[in-house]
Parts: sequence; C-alpha cells; structure tokens
Amino acid sequence: MKIVSRRGFLAALGSLAAAPVFSGSTLAASPLNRASADGAPLFASAYRKAGGEYGVGIVDELGQMLAQISLPGRGHGIAVARDGSRFVAFARRPGTFAVVVRPFEDAQPELITSDPGRHFYGHGCFSADGRLLYAVENDFAAARGVVGIYDMSGGATRRIGEFETNGIGPHDILLGPDSRTLIVANGGIETHPDKGREKLNLETMAPSVVFMDSHTGDILAQHGLEKDLHQLSLRHMALDAEGRVWVGGQFEGSPDDVPPLIGIFSQDAAPDLTVIPDPVASGLQNYIGSVAANAGGEVIATSAPRGGQTLFWSASSGAYLGTRSIPDGCGIARIDRGSFLVSDGNGALSLVTDPADPAEVLARPPGISWDNHLFNLAKIDAA
Amino acid sequence: MRLWVFLAVAVFSATPAPAADFNPPLERLVSNYIQPAMAEFAASVETLPDAVRDICADNGPEATEAFRSAYAGSLQAFARIQFLRFGPLLEEDRLSRLAFLPDPRGIVQRQIRKIYAQEDPGVGSAESLKDKSVAVQGLPALQLIAFDRDSEVVLGRPGAEKDYTCGYALAIARNLVAIAADLEMTWSDPDGYRALLLSGGPENDRFRTPKEAMEDVFNALVTGLIIVRDQDLLPALGTSAAKAKANRLPFSRSGNSVVYLSGELLGIQEAVASLGLEELTPSDFQWIFNALGFEFDNAQKLLSELNPPLRQTFTGDDSYSRVSVLAITVKSLRDTMALELAGALELAGGFNSLDGD
Repeated sequence: MKIVSRRGFLAALGSLAAAPVFSGSTLAASPLNRASADGAPLFASAYRKAGGEYGVGIVDELGQMLAQISLPGRGHGIAVARDGSRFVAFARRPGTFAVVVRPFEDAQPELITSDPGRHFYGHGCFSADGRLLYAVENDFAAARGVVGIYDMSGGATRRIGEFETNGIGPHDILLGPDSRTLIVANGGIETHPDKGREKLNLETMAPSVVFMDSHTGDILAQHGLEKDLHQLSLRHMALDAEGRVWVGGQFEGSPDDVPPLIGIFSQDAAPDLTVIPDPVASGLQNYIGSVAANAGGEVIATSAPRGGQTLFWSASSGAYLGTRSIPDGCGIARIDRGSFLVSDGNGALSLVTDPADPAEVLARPPGISWDNHLFNLAKIDAA
Repeated sequence: MRLWVFLAVAVFSATPAPAADFNPPLERLVSNYIQPAMAEFAASVETLPDAVRDICADNGPEATEAFRSAYAGSLQAFARIQFLRFGPLLEEDRLSRLAFLPDPRGIVQRQIRKIYAQEDPGVGSAESLKDKSVAVQGLPALQLIAFDRDSEVVLGRPGAEKDYTCGYALAIARNLVAIAADLEMTWSDPDGYRALLLSGGPENDRFRTPKEAMEDVFNALVTGLIIVRDQDLLPALGTSAAKAKANRLPFSRSGNSVVYLSGELLGIQEAVASLGLEELTPSDFQWIFNALGFEFDNAQKLLSELNPPLRQTFTGDDSYSRVSVLAITVKSLRDTMALELAGALELAGGFNSLDGD
C-alpha cells in the first residue's frame, strides 16, 4: 500500500495555516473551494475542541485539517452522498439538529431541525441518487424508532415522511447493495427527553437489525439475537463485499460477562457471531465503537475505544486478523483497499496498513478530540 | 416542600465522603510546574537569535558549539512544555507553530523545499514568517535548515544560500522568542487561563467542577505519555531491529532525540509530582506513586545509557533493545496513570471511552 501523493489543493488553499476556521458563527461559509473531486480521499469527523466547542473537521489523507465547520452541539454520524458533493452531520443522540454541508461549493451549511416529537438519533444515509436523506429518529412519546425521510432535491431540505423501524432506539442506518433496501440497527435502548441519555429498559431491551424497503417502508426481514444476548445493543454497521452487514454491539449486561460483540447479518439468514480471541476479548469492556470496511469490502475493522484496540476481520471467512493498539481510538474510515484511517479522542489520526504493524500516527491536531466516527467523503462509483 | 428538599440535600451531602478538592493540586501545577517551565522555555529560546547571528557571522567551532547548545537547550525546554495541551499552548496555533509534529510524511521538508525553490521572501522576518504555514515556523524547520542529515551544523557555512538561510533561521529564532514570551505572559496573567482552570464551578462555562478541570489536565499528561510511545518511539522501532528507522526518532537530525525524549518524560514526571495527588489518593492506592517514580526513573536510566546521535548508533550497539524496553516502560507508565491513578481518583478517561454511543 502506498499513500497517494499530496494533492495540489492544499497548496491552492495557500498553506496549512490557511485552513479556514469558522469560529464565531455557528454555521458559516463553505470550506473547500474546489471544483470537483479528484480521487484523493478526504475524511470528516465530529470533534470537540479543548475549549469545549463542537464541530466537524475535514482532513486529508495525511490527517491535515483542511476545514472546520462549527456545530451547535456535539455531533456524531455523517451521511455522505454517493457523488461526494455533500454530507449531513447529525447531532449526537438525542439531538435536534443536523447540518448539510456542500464542501466544494461556496455555500452556507444548511441547518435542519428535528420535527416536534422526534429526535435525531445520530446517523443517517442518502438514497443512491442523493435526492433523499434517511435519518434515524426517536418518536419519544411512543418509544418507537422511525426513519425520517427528507427531500434534498430542492433548495431547502424538507421532511416528507417517515417509516417505522419496528424497534426501539434505532442507531446506524445503511443503504443496501441493491440501492433500495435500508438496513437499520435498532439498538434497543429506550431513552426519553425527560431523562437525558438514561437507559430506561435494560431488562427488556430487544435489539435487532431490520431490512426495509426504502420505497414502501415494508419490513423485509428482521433479525434479533438469542435471548441470552438480548442486552447486546446492536449499533454500528458496515457492508462487506458479499453484501452482508457487519454489526458492532455494546453489551449492557453484567460487566463480568464476555459475550460476542460483533455479528454478521444478512437479509435471508440467521446472524453469525464472530469470536474475539482471549485475552483480547476480556479487555474490550464489551464495547465496539465503530465498524468499517476497506474499499473492497474484504477487510472489516472494528474499534473498541474502551479497550484501546482496533480489531480486524476477514470478511469472507469471519476470521480474526489481529488487533492494533490505539488509545481511545474509535472512528474508522477506509482509505483504500489496503488501509484504514483511525481517529481517537487524543486527537490522533493513525494509519493502519497491516494488522501486524503498529498504527502510524499521521497527525495530531492540537486540542482536537475526535468524536466516535470518521467517514471517507470520496465519491462512490455506482454499483 | 421547600424545607423537605433542603433537608434531603443536607442529609445527602452529609453522608458520602467529601468530594476531593482538585483546586489545590491544580494551583500547585500552575505555580510550581507550568509557570517555571514556561519561563525556562522563554529564557532558553531567547539565546537562539544571538546564536544564529554569531554562527552566521563566523561559523568557527565556538559559535557552532554555542548554536548547537542553544538549539538543544531550546528543544529540551520545549519538550518540558509541549504536553501541556490546554489553554495558552493551543491558542493562536502556538503548539503547531513551535513544532509541527508528528510529521511522518515530511510536510515540513516539502514546504521548505518549495520556499527555497521560490526564494520566498516571506521567511525573512519573524513578522512575515508568522503568517506562513505553521509547518515552516518552528523548531523542526530550524533543525532542517541548520543541520544536515548526519547531524552536522550547516548553518553559517559559506555557499550560495548562506544569507537566505541565515535570514530564515533568524526569523524562526525570533518567532520562537515571541511565542515563548506570549506563553510565559499568558500563563502569568492572573485573569488568564490560570483563572479559568482554577475556578471550576457552576459559574464556569468550561469547567463545571474542579474535577472537570483536573480531568482535562490529567488527560493531557496521559496523552503526553501516549505521544512518547506511539508517536516518538514506535515508528523508529518498526517491527524488528532490521526494520528500525533511527531517523524517525524525534529531532534525530540534530542528534537531539535523547535530549527531547528525556525532556518529555522528565516534564511529565515533574508535572505529576507538582500536583501532589498523594493527599487525594486513598491509602490502598498510594503504591501508585512509588510505581510511577520507579518507572519514570527507569525510563531516564535507559535514556542515559544511549549514545547519541542515535542515527549513527541506533542499530550498532544495545540502543535498539534499550529503546524497545523504554517503549514498554512508557506503556506501563501510561497504564498506571490512565487506569490505576485515574481509577483511584475517579477521574474520567478518554473522550470516546466515556459515555459512548
């Protein structure tokens, strides 16, 4: 694997110091005045600054900060349009804002607020043509998960409807390989605005992964876990080369248990659970933070920030490939077929090219704590 | 009703042990470590402009040695403050301007090459340099133009680029002096960041309790240890002695890796000691301080056994295995701090580990 050479547009920005910082206003002018994507990847992640400010940072493949977009509160997931022209950064759950960013246009980010009675729940995804945005939301009065549907084709984003997710606490959402099926991880944990982030139903929680027709909202399949794993909150997902969904969980049961944390789901089959070898498993505090696939979908990376480990898996065999130590590492994004970029709460962006080599710290922007997830902003070729 | 609430609060607050007050340790850290370290850094870099001028006037052995010593002294003093990643060091990009690190892909070198190719006049004075890329302003940039890859001082050597390089080096030196003076002044300002850090409470927007302020400071110390191992040592160690890369050690070009590493670890050790956390730590956990002292001392001992410049000696003697042990020692220090001491003091750890999603 080799790092692609540095692109010209950093030079076009003038210098590293010229990375625009939109402090002051909550939502400000566009970051990267660039005509078109040129193939080299950019990445985005929510962050917290040492002063307590929240935002989204855009970095290049060397981890250099190119732009910062202020957010009104703590961010979480980012939905990236397949053509790479825009992304939507969501508030951390339970949140009331999402921000649409067109990084290559000289346009103000657009602020979307959640409907009354609904809270954004951290993640979203675009339809294949980029016209619709699907956002996981909580109908908190009814304790029911929904997918809010937003029309992004006009000037201003409009909410045009919603589908039920058939579960509580929907979290990550993906568009399936057929470009029509939506895949939603119902984390299973109930919260209510009166109680903040308090988990209200740990005894009865029933997480699931649902496959949903994005045109009709029909549930095509729903898979839960065996009863003894009902407290494994299914939260974050990535698709592998075969179109299966790798799901990372967070176990809400006894901290003394060492349950499986990663499942492989598909629409027509019962889930498989991977085996995390000892002694790695017992050091993870039963918590997977992010799941990501390499560019070919052959390698799956799963971060365990509480254990300071990032684990790698063969997608085809389900075999464990190894783990790398990255303290507080949580965000993972594919760089290409042979490498991942991992972000951590201590500000580092680390390159992992081989599960046997130490992660290499490419950059550590001072004062930045990268939040849970990192996303590759590159255009995805139509399937 | 009001009375009942009042009583409930009174009973509740009377029962548990009083919450640890983290303000006195933070006050000691600022007064006894940060302020003196910032003053020392400012005093060290103040020797650089004269050293640059002297070697550029006459690069004889005396001036060369004086420059080498001024640069090493500045690096050591910088190593002792760079882990204080909160407040003044973050404001105005000061940390990145002092040293653009890490730089595994040679961004500093690439940008400096371009500056030379264009004979960019912008690096000729501290005033114009401070508006250039942060990567070309600081100690790594000075190292790159003042030393060759064999750790020899080249600044002041006769040649076509001598005057340009001397002008650039003087600009960097003066820029460093200005930043260091700002740091010293900002930390001394009784109404500055010091006041924010020491006033954790409901009125403070940044730190709602002194414990939150302590958590920021504590995590910076832990991050400092992570940097030593993951960023400074592991890339040089590679996966085996055969794949070692001594030139990946910090400031190896000027032969100052040991000076820098030793400054980083000694700084963290003294900062931890200045906090005096022993008085807030339950007796069951007092062993942690002995363990930390033992490991920090081991680290310094390992460093003192190396033979700089490491670019020349890293794979030739026992250096590689000593640095391997050093990496393990620093990992152990990190674990003792982040797991044991943070646990004993009930301090919250990493951003992502905490209350995740």
